[in-house]
Amino acid sequence: MRKCARFAATFLSVSVLALSAQAADLRSLKEPAKIAGVFPRAAQLRLVNVWAMWCVPCVAEMPDLRAIDDAFGAEVAMAGVSLDDMLPDASPKPVVKFLDQHKIAFPNVYYTGNPDALGDYLKFNGEIPITIVYDGAGKELWRHQGRIDRNQTIARLRELLRRKR
Amino acid sequence: MKKSLLLVTILLAAVACSADEVALGANAPEFSLVNAADGKTVAMKPADGNLKVVVFTCNGCPYAKAFEPRIIEIAKRFQPKGVQFYAVNPNDDAKYDVETFANMKARAAEKEYPFPYLKDGDSKVAHAYGARVTPHVFVVDGKGVVRYRGYVDDSAKPEDRKTTGLTDALNSLLNGREIANSDTRAFGCTIKWKS
Repeated sequence: MRKCARFAATFLSVSVLALSAQAADLRSLKEPAKIAGVFPRAAQLRLVNVWAMWCVPCVAEMPDLRAIDDAFGAEVAMAGVSLDDMLPDASPKPVVKFLDQHKIAFPNVYYTGNPDALGDYLKFNGEIPITIVYDGAGKELWRHQGRIDRNQTIARLRELLRRKR
Repeated sequence: MKKSLLLVTILLAAVACSADEVALGANAPEFSLVNAADGKTVAMKPADGNLKVVVFTCNGCPYAKAFEPRIIEIAKRFQPKGVQFYAVNPNDDAKYDVETFANMKARAAEKEYPFPYLKDGDSKVAHAYGARVTPHVFVVDGKGVVRYRGYVDDSAKPEDRKTTGLTDALNSLLNGREIANSDTRAFGCTIKWKS
């Protein structure tokens, strides 16, 4: 009986560890310029997606972003920038839960700075979602405002990678 | 024939590009829409001598809802000074049930809107103003000229607010001053256009 209890306890603790290992990579940032630091240096292309849970097309394209991330290796690095903190009484917890539910493996920024400062930094008009692709040196190569098309985005990224070779 | 085709192409291109915000200094588009609160038609005559605020908003967008109390507060503060407020809902209610006329009426009653809540059923008014998101604000002077466009404030959180775009614009215009920042960036939920 004791053995059974010990086994159950061990199983439970292992399960908890496994679950916590799945927790999304969500980093709070206030300064837009620090977003670049989220990417690994080796990536040839860096994709930034600005989104929020309160944005219907942003939520709708989350499975597409996951598929795009799955379609590439280390040559393409992705990062999300969540604007959920723009709402009063917001917290990162539901965002982590949402990212976990969608099995998002790429890092996300929980942006706590001024929305206008982010708009200036990424040069967009405030309408989300927006997806921007940069090269490894930070030069912008492509951007798309509104919901992305999974296949077209993958094709565009492949084309950009080809051009770099 | 070729000229006609070219003209049609140019016209179509102009319609396709109509999503740009109406320019500062341009004449504001006139509109006539039904108020969900009481079922009466409200006509907005841009050059009627009154300062006006046209705010594109809706029932469903959490960011628009976060600004709702602030818009009501600003309206209550400036209406006694002669400023007229028009809340316009441009979202497609066929796809989004929350935006139906009945739900708009219920929201206007629940929140005690001090302004008409107008149904822009085919999003024509939003297209004419080049509104992109909810909330998206335009201020029109008494001559019908667009004098401010963009956000209500730069943050929905009072503690993070650095600039109060709409309030500053109204105070400047009422006091005969230039608006320091007349073109701001409206954040919010994309308008759910009727396709």
